[in-house]
Amino acid sequence: MEGNVGKILRVNLSDGRISKEGISEEMRKKLLGGRGFATKILWDEVSGVDPLSEGNKVVFSTGPLTGLPLPSSGKMVIASKSPLTGGYGDGNIGSMAAVHLRRAGYDVLIVEGRSEAPCYIAIHDEKVEILAARDIWGKMTFESQDDLEAKHGRNVGILVIGPAGENMVRFATVMSQRGRAGGRPGMGAVMGSKNLKAVVIKGTGKIPAFDEKRVQEMGKEGYGEIKGKENYDFWIRQGTMQVFEWCNENSCLPTYNFREGAFRFSKRLDGYALEKLKVDRKGCPLCNMQCGMVIKDADKGNAELDYENVGMLGPNIAMDDLSKVGVLNRMADAYGLDTISLGSCLGFLMEASERELLDVRIEWGDLNACKKVIDDTVKKRGLGEIIFEGVRKASERVGGDSRDWAMHVKGLEISAYDCHACPGMALSYGTSPIGAHHKDAWVISWEISTDRFSYSKEKVEKVIELQRLRGGLFESMTTCRLPWIEVNFGLHWYPKYLEAARGEGITQEEISALGDRIYSLIRSFWIRENGSWSREMDYPPSRWFEEPLPRGDLKGYKLDRARYGEMLSQYYEIRGWDENGIPEKHTLEGLGLGDIATVLGKNG
Amino acid sequence: MAEFRFLGYLAEIYGKKRVKIPLETQKKLRDVLEVEFPEDRSIVLINQRIGNFDSLIRDGDKVVIMPMISGGQLMLAKDPLIRIE
Repeated sequence: MEGNVGKILRVNLSDGRISKEGISEEMRKKLLGGRGFATKILWDEVSGVDPLSEGNKVVFSTGPLTGLPLPSSGKMVIASKSPLTGGYGDGNIGSMAAVHLRRAGYDVLIVEGRSEAPCYIAIHDEKVEILAARDIWGKMTFESQDDLEAKHGRNVGILVIGPAGENMVRFATVMSQRGRAGGRPGMGAVMGSKNLKAVVIKGTGKIPAFDEKRVQEMGKEGYGEIKGKENYDFWIRQGTMQVFEWCNENSCLPTYNFREGAFRFSKRLDGYALEKLKVDRKGCPLCNMQCGMVIKDADKGNAELDYENVGMLGPNIAMDDLSKVGVLNRMADAYGLDTISLGSCLGFLMEASERELLDVRIEWGDLNACKKVIDDTVKKRGLGEIIFEGVRKASERVGGDSRDWAMHVKGLEISAYDCHACPGMALSYGTSPIGAHHKDAWVISWEISTDRFSYSKEKVEKVIELQRLRGGLFESMTTCRLPWIEVNFGLHWYPKYLEAARGEGITQEEISALGDRIYSLIRSFWIRENGSWSREMDYPPSRWFEEPLPRGDLKGYKLDRARYGEMLSQYYEIRGWDENGIPEKHTLEGLGLGDIATVLGKNG
Repeated sequence: MAEFRFLGYLAEIYGKKRVKIPLETQKKLRDVLEVEFPEDRSIVLINQRIGNFDSLIRDGDKVVIMPMISGGQLMLAKDPLIRIE
């Protein structure tokens, strides 16, 4: 595969050692890139360590399509053992850093060890340095980006953490370009634990492609096809915010800490409300359908919104004014906090307050109280001390029955879809490989279009089909999935793109095997690091099973625990995992992961 | 009156976000609306139950037509997802 030749760059912050390694043909063949590489590296190199210790590593990983002139290809995956969940954690981020990393000749950057003093890594092609970051340590992400650009020029890619990452808030993200975020299971905290403030990358080379002319031609054709799609103009107007009205209509909008599925003030927050406040659009490199919608917020700042953060910082905490949601979102981006987990943590506190489980009051929709909690979370004081490790830990601190309405799976807060009446989407959350996140299998649209309330095997198969495509293929190529899923850009393009990029396409069977291999590898990582496993780890919180929707079109609906369990068993069976969700020996061997079986104690 | 609501870009196609239409006899949804929608990429809910553009609409029905978004539409096809040429 001559078009896919980047190296692994390894930087050890403990001893300052910098090394470069090749990537084997076998690894490229079996795992493609991006998430595929990251899972293998973490499996091989990070075992039994505290996620915030020197022994953890941060893997910045691109794929064979990253940075080429192809639709929405400016993406990379950032992965680590998660300090929020204790298992595998990753997130993708759109950033010029992804493009520059490949231009500099690297497919992957691994950062290991821990620096004694705040530092940042500066990569300029072959030259790699660890530089002092004392001047920017403590600064917000936007300001840090400004300072680093002032020093290194604007033609660089920058990944940076804010005070949340520095202080190891467990849901701290990595930020880029004043609004792009990635790594919600605490990848920013892992960087902070290493005293690593930023990575600045400048690559001046050319990203290799097997057939450069064909990449150019097909890329141009692809961009054109996207622009010609029937809903392209509407997408440009509202982006992912079009989902807001859709979710409210379908009773799956997270409302009052996922107690309800529709919000009575939804029109103040939806895509049409956004259009009235919008002042700009922002996006990732190489994308012609930018999704970041910038508004002027209530404090006169610019806030970049999308559906997930409005869902979680809006109806989920009963904030009924989009310009106020913008304030919270901007604060989260500036501190480098994940907006989804933050919205869930705030909703958790408000409900705990309502139930008189806290010493202090925090009312639903109180902007000033939320602002204070955000400040306090980063400083780990007051109410922030309760939530800085996420809602799972917060429920242990608060006690009572709060475990039942701490809305997470495996420690990762649920993203913005209520599942009281969506069993398939609940399974997506239950089996997502990083904890409750929608990126791997957003099955809800298909589910609502078919037999919404059923617990069918067909639904289980769809979840797996989506996980293979979204969680396997897209996360590993590594390009954004939104052209395909939002404007119906043809999936058939991607094997052609891979063929032109690396000299080898990909078949339907290979896509399935890739996704299955990554899933079994990630599941094995979780089991090894957790020390044991049980089915309960793959269940959504009790609230959706025990408390029916209290009002709205679907009043009275809730999930059925026994039937969810049947779907989960079917899921395990199709994946080739046992009744407790542990991969079988023959499954691992069939995926070329036979060596893992011994580690999991699957010898028979 | 039957009530029709259109979400997302489908409201642009119809030209309105909602409309009420009197129906003396039941009619197919397609015939009531007289506008061409991307049917394979739309979800039709009739009184909160899934329907389609051939469903019969009666006076008093509440119909919501919404786009199939975020990774669902291709899943409807029984054909292989990717055809390698």
